[in-house]
Amino acid sequence: MKKLNTIGKSKKKIDALSLATGSAKFTDDFEIKNSLFVSFLYSPHAHAEIKSIDDKDAKLMEGVIDVLHYQNVKKQKLHTTAGQGYPEPSPYDTVMFDKKMRFVGDRVAVVIAESKKIADDAVKKIKVEYDILEAVFDSEKALEKNAPRIHGEDRYMPIPVKYEPERNLAAEVEIGFGDMAKGEKEADFIIEKKYSTHYASHAAIEPHSVASFFDEMGRLVIVTSTQVPFHVRRIVSKVLDYPLSKIRIIKPRIGGGFGGKQEVFLEPISALITIKYKRPVKIILSREEVFESSRTRHPMKVKLKTAVKNSGEITALSLEALLNTGAYGSHALTIVSNAGSKVLPFFNKVKNIHFLGQSAYTNLPIGGAYRGYGATQGYFALNQQIDIITRKLDLDILEYIKKNHIRTGETSEVFKALGEGTEGVTQVIHSCEMDQCIDKGAKAIDWYKKRDKRIEPKKDKVRGVGIGFSMQGSGIPLIDMGSASMKMNDDGSFNLYIGATDIGTGSDTILAQIVAEVLGIELDKVIVLSSDTDLTPFDVGAYASSTTYVSGTAVKKCADKIKDQILKVASQMLESDIENLAVGNTKVTDTKNNKSVSLAEVGEYSLYTKDQFQIQASASYVPKLSPPPFIAQFAEVEIDKKTGKIRIVKFVSAVDCGVALNPKLAEGQIEGAAVNGICYALTEEYKFSKTGKLTNKTFSDYKIWTANDMPEMETIIAESDEETGPFGAKSVGEIGINGPLPAIANAIYDAVGVRLYHAPFTAEKIYEEINRIK
Amino acid sequence: MNNLKWYFPKAIDEATELMKKEKVLPHASGTGLLKRNLSNLNGLINLSDLELQYSKQKNDTIEFGSMNTYADIIAKLSDIDENNILVKSLQNSADTPLRNRITIGGSIAFAPPWSDIIGALIALETEIVLAGQNVGAFPIAEYLRNSKLKKNSLITGIKFKLSNWETFSHREIRTKKDMPIFHIVIMLKIADNRIQDSKIIITGTTNKFDKLNEIEKYLTDTEIDEIEYSKIEKMVDVKFSKNRISNPEYSNKLVAVELSRGIQKLVRKNK
Amino acid sequence: MKGKFIINGKEKYLNFEADERLVITLRNNGFTEVKNGCMEGECGACMILLDDKAVHSCQVLTASVQGKKILTVKGIGDLHIPHVIQKSFVEAGAVQCGFCTPGFVVATYALLKSNQNPTETEIKKAIDGNLCRCTGYVKIIDGIKNASKTIQKERE
Repeated sequence: MKKLNTIGKSKKKIDALSLATGSAKFTDDFEIKNSLFVSFLYSPHAHAEIKSIDDKDAKLMEGVIDVLHYQNVKKQKLHTTAGQGYPEPSPYDTVMFDKKMRFVGDRVAVVIAESKKIADDAVKKIKVEYDILEAVFDSEKALEKNAPRIHGEDRYMPIPVKYEPERNLAAEVEIGFGDMAKGEKEADFIIEKKYSTHYASHAAIEPHSVASFFDEMGRLVIVTSTQVPFHVRRIVSKVLDYPLSKIRIIKPRIGGGFGGKQEVFLEPISALITIKYKRPVKIILSREEVFESSRTRHPMKVKLKTAVKNSGEITALSLEALLNTGAYGSHALTIVSNAGSKVLPFFNKVKNIHFLGQSAYTNLPIGGAYRGYGATQGYFALNQQIDIITRKLDLDILEYIKKNHIRTGETSEVFKALGEGTEGVTQVIHSCEMDQCIDKGAKAIDWYKKRDKRIEPKKDKVRGVGIGFSMQGSGIPLIDMGSASMKMNDDGSFNLYIGATDIGTGSDTILAQIVAEVLGIELDKVIVLSSDTDLTPFDVGAYASSTTYVSGTAVKKCADKIKDQILKVASQMLESDIENLAVGNTKVTDTKNNKSVSLAEVGEYSLYTKDQFQIQASASYVPKLSPPPFIAQFAEVEIDKKTGKIRIVKFVSAVDCGVALNPKLAEGQIEGAAVNGICYALTEEYKFSKTGKLTNKTFSDYKIWTANDMPEMETIIAESDEETGPFGAKSVGEIGINGPLPAIANAIYDAVGVRLYHAPFTAEKIYEEINRIK
Repeated sequence: MNNLKWYFPKAIDEATELMKKEKVLPHASGTGLLKRNLSNLNGLINLSDLELQYSKQKNDTIEFGSMNTYADIIAKLSDIDENNILVKSLQNSADTPLRNRITIGGSIAFAPPWSDIIGALIALETEIVLAGQNVGAFPIAEYLRNSKLKKNSLITGIKFKLSNWETFSHREIRTKKDMPIFHIVIMLKIADNRIQDSKIIITGTTNKFDKLNEIEKYLTDTEIDEIEYSKIEKMVDVKFSKNRISNPEYSNKLVAVELSRGIQKLVRKNK
Repeated sequence: MKGKFIINGKEKYLNFEADERLVITLRNNGFTEVKNGCMEGECGACMILLDDKAVHSCQVLTASVQGKKILTVKGIGDLHIPHVIQKSFVEAGAVQCGFCTPGFVVATYALLKSNQNPTETEIKKAIDGNLCRCTGYVKIIDGIKNASKTIQKERE
């Protein structure tokens, strides 16, 4: 491999110092003069129809501008809040204000006032009468015959896929190949288990925030904490029937997203207010609102059936996933699809496969994109099932995975059969270091000294180890698009304009590293401007683990074009043949005679000296493939046999993300995802009352970990070289969240012999199971 | 507009006089108050000018002013009595910034079910020093049960005797930063391989706190080698209200196990 | 209400409501480096030093701390003259989205002022009032260790 200067180095994140000193601006940090503020009224009922709204008292209050609700916001357009490619593969089942309430926390009205306090006071004065309807909370019950119907007939899917709101079916996808019956017949035994995962919050520390105003030219500017600025522009334009050309979306620094800010549910309201009252407005959700009324991780029930030969060979596999999408179907189709499309190709030698994915509407909070995106839920089932099978056959699970996983040069029929809710794209694996991930990870956790040993370090305490393997993707092939444009300045610096959306991941930095590498310059010579729909070219945004692979390739293409132009100018300056020229060390050198010109000289020459022109270029990229990263994650747990309490002793992640363009940032992605996954497995869980009300919508009751809870963590990068990716890179943003749930479940079994099919693994559950099998 | 009025008294008398006003409450650091709806109040009395951050020792009795924060108490008390149950109970309470803020006075007045301080204060047979309507020093247990004592009375301090007990504190938490489901406090006096005296208090129960008299009785005057821990576990029968965190039977089981372990730990140290 | 505060070493007279929390007062007056993540004293994004002690500014009523010393992350170091802690966080990769970072820097500053050579356990305890959802804390702890080493070296 060519020696690289910037790629593969842990360069400092270019925005880090401004963040660490507090000068970087998040949405709420913009001082917006003369701003209006809002307060939302939410439904206290899980399922109800508004009989009447009396907003007179609220409107009479001094400082209240208006109260908006379904009665006075006319001609509303059905849309989806899912910030996905267009047309979105999510049902159009949402309006800004509806007459019907579908979960506790559904939006009834919004008060617009001169201050947040006035708005909060006024909202208490709105009187609403409801017709309370029967509610349904369980995804299976929602699909039963006589279940209360949640959505009306006018709802529709903008793409041709199955959608049956009359029976609360928000999405369905089914594929199969081979012959299941034959496969089952060939098998020596069949294992069929049901698994379930639970509701959770993204819990980005910055709450969802948006501010909108008219600029001095009368264009609508929306500053918003979003992962998808271009989708925001499109959706706001369509929902409000307002010209897209008059909307500008600015993404400032974003305080974490994890999928939660891939949703466009506040921007239309904010835009509506600014348009209607010709005033700026700021909407900052409270933490409770984030928990209850933004978006969540969908709970999923998975039925996994495997027909297995005594040799361990799986002869047939059926995975049925049922997603509880909550009150609206945002990402309902694509997430359930991913429980198959990202999971089933892993063991690509299975010849007979059936997959059924369904999403049910219920009267609970709305699901949405969340790091891992269905793969997390699917791998929870598959990993435990493999643990069950290999234990039954007394096989070494690590060797079993190594023997059966998909590898370089191979494909899976699933890639073609199942994409984002519809057909997928055929692809062959170009890079896979799964074996290395397993070997290095196993060594780090000291697997063979601990597995099946039930080591008791202290009285009543017993330890076990477990593995969670997975693969993800790198963007959505033939759908995602990223683009970049660049120009060169007279001092040899470059402006890089990208639609790609840095939400804290460091994508601004790694995209600048790509430019620096191509042009042989230092990182500080790349001036990055990202995600301003007036200034930067289009990008779908930060989701589907796409930025490095998709936007990164666009940036590389763009930088290559710039390089060509630089060489042309340099050849004129040096009177050399282009073929003899090379860039590097901030200059262009003629390799024949060692004469060189600095990039600053090239820049200056091109702008001032002869045949002047702006060295500039743009490029787009739509991936044909979605090369999966691979990961092996290992948990060592310690169980208190008397109480069921669990402690994570050590957690290891070994990941193949292609070439890690910036190893420290790549590790940071894995570490953050792993800890999020660990908390999800153990302490994070939405709890509902019998009437569907979320009862733990605070950080004091919804437990995410502090540093003080952390186990020993080890993250290993097992590099591969993905020839289709920019400088060999794949993706790393999501995959790290898939392993903790199954690795911990498998480790619990290793320690105490109880199998937990239903997450999260609370001490109480473990205690009950230990006592049940006694 | 908000009608909340602030008072900044310079003397305790002035503060207690202000407390007679309707819906006017003392404000120590506010961490407890902020969990309530301030719009129902007419006023707040800021206590920070009253010089209640004192500590004083007389023979074996120590007194702390009510405006000492958890962090203050941990620092001051561990200098004199590192092993004191109050130090052990508070050092992992809430989190660093909250320990810097929560005062003992506010914490006793507010006394939420998850209180980390109450068990220790009961075990120490602390007296609450009051000013105002009920001036004097009152046993903590009495103060907590008798709402009349609280009326128009300002907690100005706490006092308790320093003593040489073995101490153990256990907070039942889900993550390290959590309001405990219950808090176990154990104090044992062990000499000549025999438990001379014992105090066991559980907070967070239906009764807010329970003193486990039966177990105390069993332990006191027992040879440490003769303690039957399974028996102690069986004796534990504390009631928890059915809350969303865990079911009452399981919580009781946890108390039994952790209590027994706590006693074992202290006994082992003295072997 | 109106009151005097000493913010980052400078006397300031600020207006505030009687029931206003300090985080709001500070943010309303341009100290937007103090972030607001939960308003319940859990996330630590609003952390400041109040008379040299780390506190959640969302858990402080402004009226009650008039006349007191307040230090925000910008008072510790700014873009032009960053503090060792801020530089160490950047070097260690401890800053991802950065919304929690000001709070962590403040907590670290408070720790290293009283304990220049903290153990890992002491570090973890010192930042137990701060939540981070991006990093998994690994690199934040690295950053604090590096800062402590640098400060000790500078002293030698």
